Amino acid sequence: MATDPQHIRNFSIIAHIDHGKSTLSDRILEQTGTVAVRDMQEQLLDTMDIERERGITIKSQAVRVVYEADDGQSYQLNLIDTPGHVDFTYEVSRSLAACEGAVLVVDATQGVEAQTVANAMLAMNANLEIIPLINKIDLPAAEPDRVREEIEDGLAIPADDAVLASGKTGEGIHDLLESIVYNIPAPVGDASAPLRALIFDSYFDAYRGVVALVRVMDGSMKTGDRIHMLATGADALVEEVGVRTPKELPLPELSVGEVGYLVTGLKDVSQVKVGDTVTLVEGGVASALPGYREAKPMVFTGLYPIEGDQYEPLKEALEKLALNDPALIWEPETSVALGFGFRVGFLGLLHMEVVKERLEREFGLDLLATAPSVEYKVYLRDGEVLSVHSPQEMPAAGTYDRIEEPYLKAKVLVPPDYIGAVMDLTVARRGTFVTMNYISETTVEMLWEIPLSELIMDFFDKLKSMTKGYASLDYEFMGYQASDLVKLDILLAGKPIDALSFIVHKDKAYERGRVLTDKLKEIIPRQMFEVPIQAAIGGRVLARQTVKAKRKDVLAKCYGGDITRKRKLLEKQKAGKKRMKAIGNVEVPQEAFMAILKVDE
Amino acid sequence: MAHDPYEALYIHIPFCASKCAYCDFDSLAYKADDPYIPEYFEGLVADIRRLAKEGELAHIRTIYIGGGTPTHVGQKHLTSLLYAISVSLDLAQVQELTVEANPESLTEPLVKDMWALGVNRLSLGVQTFDDGLLGTIGRIHDGKAARRAIDIARTRFENVSIDLMCGLPGQDEEGFARDVDEGIRSGVVHMSVYPLSLEKGTPLYRRRRKLSFPDEDAQADMMERAELILTEAGFERYEVASYARPGFESKHNRIYWEGVPYLGIGRSAVTMTQNAMRRMRVRDGVVEDDLDQANMAAEDAMLAMREVRGLSKERAQALACVLPALPAELVRLKERGLIEERGGAWCPTKRGWLLGNELFGALMSLAS
Repeated sequence: MATDPQHIRNFSIIAHIDHGKSTLSDRILEQTGTVAVRDMQEQLLDTMDIERERGITIKSQAVRVVYEADDGQSYQLNLIDTPGHVDFTYEVSRSLAACEGAVLVVDATQGVEAQTVANAMLAMNANLEIIPLINKIDLPAAEPDRVREEIEDGLAIPADDAVLASGKTGEGIHDLLESIVYNIPAPVGDASAPLRALIFDSYFDAYRGVVALVRVMDGSMKTGDRIHMLATGADALVEEVGVRTPKELPLPELSVGEVGYLVTGLKDVSQVKVGDTVTLVEGGVASALPGYREAKPMVFTGLYPIEGDQYEPLKEALEKLALNDPALIWEPETSVALGFGFRVGFLGLLHMEVVKERLEREFGLDLLATAPSVEYKVYLRDGEVLSVHSPQEMPAAGTYDRIEEPYLKAKVLVPPDYIGAVMDLTVARRGTFVTMNYISETTVEMLWEIPLSELIMDFFDKLKSMTKGYASLDYEFMGYQASDLVKLDILLAGKPIDALSFIVHKDKAYERGRVLTDKLKEIIPRQMFEVPIQAAIGGRVLARQTVKAKRKDVLAKCYGGDITRKRKLLEKQKAGKKRMKAIGNVEVPQEAFMAILKVDE
Repeated sequence: MAHDPYEALYIHIPFCASKCAYCDFDSLAYKADDPYIPEYFEGLVADIRRLAKEGELAHIRTIYIGGGTPTHVGQKHLTSLLYAISVSLDLAQVQELTVEANPESLTEPLVKDMWALGVNRLSLGVQTFDDGLLGTIGRIHDGKAARRAIDIARTRFENVSIDLMCGLPGQDEEGFARDVDEGIRSGVVHMSVYPLSLEKGTPLYRRRRKLSFPDEDAQADMMERAELILTEAGFERYEVASYARPGFESKHNRIYWEGVPYLGIGRSAVTMTQNAMRRMRVRDGVVEDDLDQANMAAEDAMLAMREVRGLSKERAQALACVLPALPAELVRLKERGLIEERGGAWCPTKRGWLLGNELFGALMSLAS
């Protein structure tokens, strides 16, 4: 039987990374009796190993809990857990569109940070009722009053009634649940209108096909219905609907205002895209819910198997991952240095790292990733515009009018003491300062325009270390701007190594070339012969270093008891060589291909 | 399993007066009167008697008593062990019987007894004659004690060997050259020269950041210098790290490098057993290596390259039956300058010896 929308509350928990979102979710499940304490596992909603290990959320989740409120009535609370990283801003916005309210978690010791602001803005844009929650009040360094002020001054969110809580001790969870029931509006929708449901996540299940997480906006959806996706045009049969508690619980139907899962039996996740609208084939609507957008990759990298015979397995692994990740796109690529591989597009750096780690971990592949690149637009003399995703594709100098590169609007939040440090770093990365606002006495918001290519060069780690970890960063795509860019080639033993070349601003070319050759000298082990390392533009060498020839190995005693040990050592040496890529005669360790990211100014 | 006869016997004495800062061998600092020591020796003697009864000692032609410091435990235990050996196997067919000794524990009466009981070679752990360096690496003797020990050893023994080290923290090439010169002048007929290898878990490893080690190039220079000085003085480099006056090459060590079975007695001593099909190494009852024919062949080829005589063409041909990739690899190694053809054999070059792991690694991986 359908629940009266008056007794439904749909909400998200949003926070800056590490502010305790997942722990709070765990406590809510625990205190509503949804999950018995003995079954508790840290970060219950983060199901992937990588999510648990890194303390991040990549996929959205929706869990229904039943809460007996102090008013004596029973409420259906749907908690939608959203990804917590700027790479997934679009996914977050769709999850928020499925809610009427959001719990904004702010760490009582850290205060408002960049993603707090970004997420709060997203929630406000989605017209959500925001319940501020100050977390970790059990810590000695907690400063709830200061944080309350920051929320009011910096975000213009009234925080007098902010919930004070501790995900660790469970304090304040009851207050939070009451506040959700009291403050967050019940969903409104037309139960008798044709079905309209919003897809806010989807994934591929090997046994059931594509499963979507949906919010029913109007009408209802039941097993056996024939449904239609408005954006992708796919039709499917509803094989099952239900809710997660967090175990899956099949239901006869999902009705207006409810959140749950939908089993489609479709084989391809790209037919069931986040942001799309589900309606019925017969008597459905033609108008989609607002806000649908195609996911667009921003960062590109070459992924190559270390062992040549792993090309097919890599392709199969990418296909399998893509079943679950419509944002993952790739095309075959060949490199003179690295052989056959793929140019893979990602939403951002975290997305890239996660995918690479999953390919290695879940599919047992040994991969080599080239330095990430962005998508450049090259305006050729003949009027044609090329999209260039890798330095190898860059046309020769003189054949084009101009190159444009993607720019971002970046927002950095820091304590005022670090304004200078952030200025230095950002200007060195070709950033243009826009403006600066004091969010509170202790936090300044700095706005920048910066090329994406500079941001993917280890910018965030650098920012963190220059500000003793205080700075936080958020960014959004701004558009393309013309830049004076050149392709810098790296030569090993006199041969250009395509996989090491990169595109750089002309003014930075000399410096980057010099630092990179120094770095490569450290990374590339001594070989049987001398290896010159050169950085060059066109034929002009900008910087040179030399790895001296190796003269001697470790020589150890090799008597009766030492032979086994010697064997093991040689086996280890062999395994070590396997981790390297032989380019011509030169054994190049994997880090070399990422060295450009670690180039200090 | 029916196996080829053992031709060498190694006896391990895991006791030392104190543990050196670079040592990761099985040796522990024991007082010479610790009750565990007699118990250990009784065990060794019982093992020797049993093996003799089983006939395993019938073909032994070399014996090496090593450690640790065999001479540290004192005359009584060592002489009882040597006595047990002399009654358990036919010493007339034993061509070489070596005892390892450290300078501080070698005394004149001990030298006389060892000589009388059939020992014909002493190997002294000198490492360096430089008192400062000896202190750094935690040796308890000084240069003077080393010279004295060599003199005492030479009162009875013609065949005396010393170990020297290069690449010690604070050592320079000239200092090392002085050590080699001094070794030659002391009258020994055999020298082993090794670069220090810094092993994890040793006190020296823990102190590594506070010390300045000669770099790889400096070590290479020292090893080349050693060869120069020693060959001028009439020594021959017969193995990558071993020099001898003609006729004084270590017969025991050669057995290790030539794929001949050997028997180890005592804690952590390794026994190598083989027949035509299989080779195994066992330490403390645990099988550490279990090699099939291909792996045996690869190992034989690798070990052969430690010696100046290298791998004879007939042997290479025989090994190629189970290791078909061997002939091509030998040609490749020659092209890389790591080996050369000399007198009907494939022999390591000096470069091949310095870059030993490249050479050995290439041969070892032929089997996998």
